[in-house]
Amino acid sequence: MSGKKRDRLGVIYDILKIIRAKNNSIKPTPLLRYSNLSSSSFAEYYSELIAKEFVKEITDKKGRKYVTLTDKGFNYIEKYSLILGFIDEFEL
Amino acid sequence: MAIPLFIGIDDFVVDFAFTIAAVVFCFLIYYRTREIYRLSKYEGIKYFRESFLFFGFSYAMRFLFGLVLLSRIVFGIKLPREIFAPILILPLGYFSTMGIFYLLYSALRNKLSGKNWLYIGHGLAILLSAVSFATRSHIILLLLQSILLAAVLVIVFASKGRKKVSKTRILYFLISILWLMNLWVAGLRRPFFSEIRVIFDLLSLAVFFTIYHKISKWIR
Repeated sequence: MSGKKRDRLGVIYDILKIIRAKNNSIKPTPLLRYSNLSSSSFAEYYSELIAKEFVKEITDKKGRKYVTLTDKGFNYIEKYSLILGFIDEFEL
Repeated sequence: MAIPLFIGIDDFVVDFAFTIAAVVFCFLIYYRTREIYRLSKYEGIKYFRESFLFFGFSYAMRFLFGLVLLSRIVFGIKLPREIFAPILILPLGYFSTMGIFYLLYSALRNKLSGKNWLYIGHGLAILLSAVSFATRSHIILLLLQSILLAAVLVIVFASKGRKKVSKTRILYFLISILWLMNLWVAGLRRPFFSEIRVIFDLLSLAVFFTIYHKISKWIR
């Protein structure tokens, strides 16, 4: 377990798990709070998650923005331990 | 004076079967790691899987290269070696150098600082294939790749903080060394070289199968 990139995978996993734990629907501000990241780091990860289609934003009738996991996001959570195991096994 | 025949159609069939198996293993490794990379976008996985793509192309090119050198013996048709061999040696040199480089880079990436390594890798691959093209010799390519691999081995063994070389890294070096051995015997038609070639073929397949088997444990 080493390397900045490895930590990045873990941070993404943690953010996705938070969303899942909140019944797959959470506002961006509490998500930032629960993620224990600085605002700038969170903004960076959040953009990445949207770009990679791990999460999507939905807006309700009152105009409130929520974040939910996509199938790809659920798939990432499921495969996370496999990804880490693979990286370890092949010393990548 | 006629050249004694130490290679026949049987050797060609064995070589063809080996090439198909090696290329299939390489492409399967690349294909089966697709999703794990798509999800993680982890650079180590990217270079690892792409190295097998390069090795797959390398083994296909090596087969074609050997075919040109031995066309008269195997088919009774003499393909103009001076035309086909240099044309094939260019992609052969590039793909195989990149295969070795990417495989080692995927494992040593965390120890290397700077982002210029990839440019260096592509530059070396182009340089090595250009030199081999200019000299019309796959043996020159073999020598240059051997020097490259030896340099990497020295760096790895000389690096501090690593007491023991893992089995996975041994597999990586075996893939690279067996590639060099396979390149060495390509086109040779001396006594006993058919037997030596089969030994290298079997060892290479065993290493590819081991990697594929290890991958299959993680990817379902």
